[in-house]
Amino acid sequence: MAAAAAGQRVSESRGLLALPARNRELGLIVLALAITTAGFAAVQLARAQEFASDPLIAAGLFAAAYLSAHIVMRAALPDADAYVLPITAVLTAIGLIEIYRISPQLARDQGVWILVGLALFIAVVVAFRNIRRLEELRYTCGALAVVLLLLTIGLGTEVNGARLWIRVAGLQIQPGEFAKILLVVFLAAYLRERREVLAAPVRQVLGIGIPALRHALPLLILSGLALVLLVAMNDLGTSLLFYVIALAMIYVATGRLLYVGAGLGLFALGAAAALQVAPQVQGRIDGWLNPWVDEQAQCCYQITQSIYTIADGGVLGAGFGRGLILNSSGDTIIPFAQTDFIFSVIANELGLVGVTAVILLYLLLAWRGFRIATTADDGFSKLLAAGLATAVAFQAFVIVGGILRLLPLTGLTLPFVSYGGSSVTANFAIAALLLCVSQRANRERA
Amino acid sequence: MVDQALLLLRIGVLALLYLFVWRIARTAIRDVRGSAESMILSPGHGFDALPKVEAPKPAGRLLVVASDVLPVGAAVVLDADEVLLGRDPSAAAMLEGDTFVSARHALVRARNGSPTVSDLGSTNGTFVNGERISAETALRPGDELSVGSTRMIYETGGKR
Repeated sequence: MAAAAAGQRVSESRGLLALPARNRELGLIVLALAITTAGFAAVQLARAQEFASDPLIAAGLFAAAYLSAHIVMRAALPDADAYVLPITAVLTAIGLIEIYRISPQLARDQGVWILVGLALFIAVVVAFRNIRRLEELRYTCGALAVVLLLLTIGLGTEVNGARLWIRVAGLQIQPGEFAKILLVVFLAAYLRERREVLAAPVRQVLGIGIPALRHALPLLILSGLALVLLVAMNDLGTSLLFYVIALAMIYVATGRLLYVGAGLGLFALGAAAALQVAPQVQGRIDGWLNPWVDEQAQCCYQITQSIYTIADGGVLGAGFGRGLILNSSGDTIIPFAQTDFIFSVIANELGLVGVTAVILLYLLLAWRGFRIATTADDGFSKLLAAGLATAVAFQAFVIVGGILRLLPLTGLTLPFVSYGGSSVTANFAIAALLLCVSQRANRERA
Repeated sequence: MVDQALLLLRIGVLALLYLFVWRIARTAIRDVRGSAESMILSPGHGFDALPKVEAPKPAGRLLVVASDVLPVGAAVVLDADEVLLGRDPSAAAMLEGDTFVSARHALVRARNGSPTVSDLGSTNGTFVNGERISAETALRPGDELSVGSTRMIYETGGKR
């Protein structure tokens, strides 16, 4: 308490300008804005063959939005992590530039969603500056997550085979993106209460401590839920993502690898069984294992075109605006490139060097997230940060893995980069929550 | 002209991108060299628990090999900084009933894993390897400590 009070006093007395973490953040945001401006200018120049003011206006708006978020951070979270916000800035910028490359109209929509996302970011930062307030809302969050998932299953429309979207007032919403965050909040609060009984073994089998079965029940329910999602949404990626988030949080809560091993085993068994009853999942698996059987078929057209596009980019890429992304009628060669295959578009225009940088950015973001979890001083914050970091990192892994054919292809979006309002706004909420946890941890240490 | 500008912008963006990655990554190197904290919550850690002081490893134990008052095979675990031997009820090794033992007979200090024993002015003396001690004496593994009728062997390790 005394330390907290002292920290409070320090942060008040040093004013808004002398904040080392925020100054570092500002420096990196300026660097991100330089990348944004240069990228926009390049795409515009390649398209029109002359400089115009449009990209500068776009970059200016982008800059204004990020600098507003930064100013709010100075006032609300002075000691929070310096790197999360700039990393999101570079990721959203790269996504926006390539979406602008595909279509200026889509880029305008995405730009609006980024502004909405940053507004949500600011709202979350202000509302949950004291992250403990969120813990009180755990049952609300849990119930909302279930409602959103049921809505998706009940009212969902199928796009490209997967049932992940619902239509509301002309907008397509992907409720899973928000359900994911709510589930992490609920699990963090739940596991903080229950971790002791989950961690304590009651008997030994073959030298392994087995916890009481009734405490493992939630785990069984979770795996069941994940399998229901798999069959109902026809999307291995989404169900795997939800399940892995839950397993990672259980591991953080108990420190027992047994749960992870048993959980993954259960999921593998369940998924194998689900394949027998749900033939549409099998289609995805076939398209993953051997897309070359029939390149023009529905299963395989998207993924094979994506592979050609990536290969075409080579090591250094074709350059902004110079890649072979659109066909002669102005549509993307890869169907749904702006949402599902934005990674391939980046690979085409920026090459291996460019996508490696993108993957490094996700790695850095994951590292900051887990670092925040490490420094957090209470169970709820630790679990929340670890769960959110897992959510972003694993989602990026699953979608990039799907595009590179390491995993079956999924309908997940590349966080911050893909076109889509739900994805962009939900990911900004994740960034905001991570920073709220970070503020509390860093202030106690200061 | 346009081509040169595009090439310049392309190289510029990639260079800035890697500069950005590098500026963040170098703090990661500092992190790896720094503290080895964990985000795992195990029972007893975290939220409600006070910052936990690492329990000291016991310096070892005194195994009873002969005694009129303690069962042979019993052990006095040296898990505190100071372990008192004597008839006093507060003694860690309570030798009640042994008339050759004083109330506060001897003290074993077990700091830093290398224990020492000193006599607290007992009537009948404290012996290490058969010799009566007059000053604080270090105990090495295998040394025999005698207090009254009780003979104990010092050994390292042992469970708490």
